[in-house]
Amino acid sequence: MQEMKIFLTFQKQAYAIFFAVILSLVRGITYSAEIGIALEPPMAILSLTFCADTYTQEIVSRRSEVWRLRPMKKRTNSIYRRIVVQEIFLLAVAAASYGLFFLFQNPKMNGMGQSDPESEICQFLVFFAAIAVTLGFWGLLSNLLSCLFRNMWIGIGICLMLWMITNSSIGDRCFGAWNLFSYTFRELENGGGFYWLRGKLLCIFIGFLTAAALPEIIEKRG
Amino acid sequence: MGIKIENLTVTFKNKITAIHHADLEIPKGIFGLLGENGAGKTTLMRVLATVLSPTSGTVTLDGIFYSEGNFEKIRKKIGYLPQEIDLYPSLTVQKCLEHMGSLSGIPRHACKERISDYLEKTGLSDHRRKKMRQLSGGMKRRVGLIQALLNEPEFLIADEPTTGLDPKKRIRIRNLLVDFSEGRTVLFSTHVVEDLAASCSQLAVMKKGEFLYSGNMRELLEQAEGHVWICKVKDEGAARELEEKYHVSSKQYAGGELSLKLISETPPQIECSSCQATLEDAYIYIANKER
Repeated sequence: MQEMKIFLTFQKQAYAIFFAVILSLVRGITYSAEIGIALEPPMAILSLTFCADTYTQEIVSRRSEVWRLRPMKKRTNSIYRRIVVQEIFLLAVAAASYGLFFLFQNPKMNGMGQSDPESEICQFLVFFAAIAVTLGFWGLLSNLLSCLFRNMWIGIGICLMLWMITNSSIGDRCFGAWNLFSYTFRELENGGGFYWLRGKLLCIFIGFLTAAALPEIIEKRG
Repeated sequence: MGIKIENLTVTFKNKITAIHHADLEIPKGIFGLLGENGAGKTTLMRVLATVLSPTSGTVTLDGIFYSEGNFEKIRKKIGYLPQEIDLYPSLTVQKCLEHMGSLSGIPRHACKERISDYLEKTGLSDHRRKKMRQLSGGMKRRVGLIQALLNEPEFLIADEPTTGLDPKKRIRIRNLLVDFSEGRTVLFSTHVVEDLAASCSQLAVMKKGEFLYSGNMRELLEQAEGHVWICKVKDEGAARELEEKYHVSSKQYAGGELSLKLISETPPQIECSSCQATLEDAYIYIANKER
């Protein structure tokens, strides 16, 4: 699969892994239930920077001029494949980072309603599902905005602004359960509450819209 | 049928007009585009490759109008080598071309066969396993040309395909383009006049966004006949004087004298003899002729 060699370069893999290791070293947590909270917003930044050049790399290297001659379906499929490859890699990094928190931070496992290994596994699975949505959403959005403005820095910049708004107490107050970071802002003591799923559903919905808009943007701005 | 360009104007956002009301017909076969830097050659090629939309005017390819609705149909017929292209540095030559082929929708087996064939023809067979980043400028250029040829286009646009190539490779690429042009249209631009002289019978000369000449190469040479002169001078000072007055297309020391080839509308006011015009002389004559 050529996309892997093109878009998962050694440099990109190295900075993502470095980011995950540093994060798990410096971000202090007390309970294992806090790992997801500690990981979601930074991983969103990693995803939006990682995926911003998915297509703009073609523009920078002037390959977009020959890309234009290729059938639209082939072009968009190639971009989708690249995003999927990158997101799978980031998901693996996020999962590994979750483990590194256990290694470096030695969190308490019997706090905040969690008391047995089974609930630890459930907690991880919930995190895994939530982070998959988060990574996909921010990756798709930053790629789309970068394509729209033909500049990855503008894509990253707009996403960072949205990140700052939604990953803040103001964002939490304004959007509540519909916040893009609803998983981060969820009530930990509330254990089994899944009201925050609304925020993730919104991410999925916007993500689908973003993916659907991509061919049009590539056609017009590619 | 070929390509027909009518009253084409391209003005950029910064108000610079790269092409002014240009008309041109490009028939089947190999067609050369000659012009100084900034003449508008690349802009014209980008319009023909559907990369750039013209400000006004019309372009047709085999009778199909260049319009958004027809782009999908037109693009299937085009192969394009841009002036600058940086193909995937982390891929090998073979994988890079396979990737470009799969993007074009060429069946895998046919694609591999074509790649092998073109690698052979361009002298890159031994380099197929090298990473793109390990190639020299000339090799990258040839890989760029192969990606443009892969879908066997009816209209090939090659913007300076021979840049960075040594004479032997240049000849090889020229011959490849001539062979490829059978039953197709190949438009190629270059600064190297010999490349055109050796491969094209039809050409256009551009300057400041306008066509100074378009048509048969023989007729272009005929236009310059009687305007090319050879003269000999004793010292550099006299040569400099002539350079100020006339366009000098060549200058060389021969037997203690300086031999200069002058391009002039009227016979120079110095002892000289008329000589046969080369394409380079004709180009200089046309490019500097009072219009």
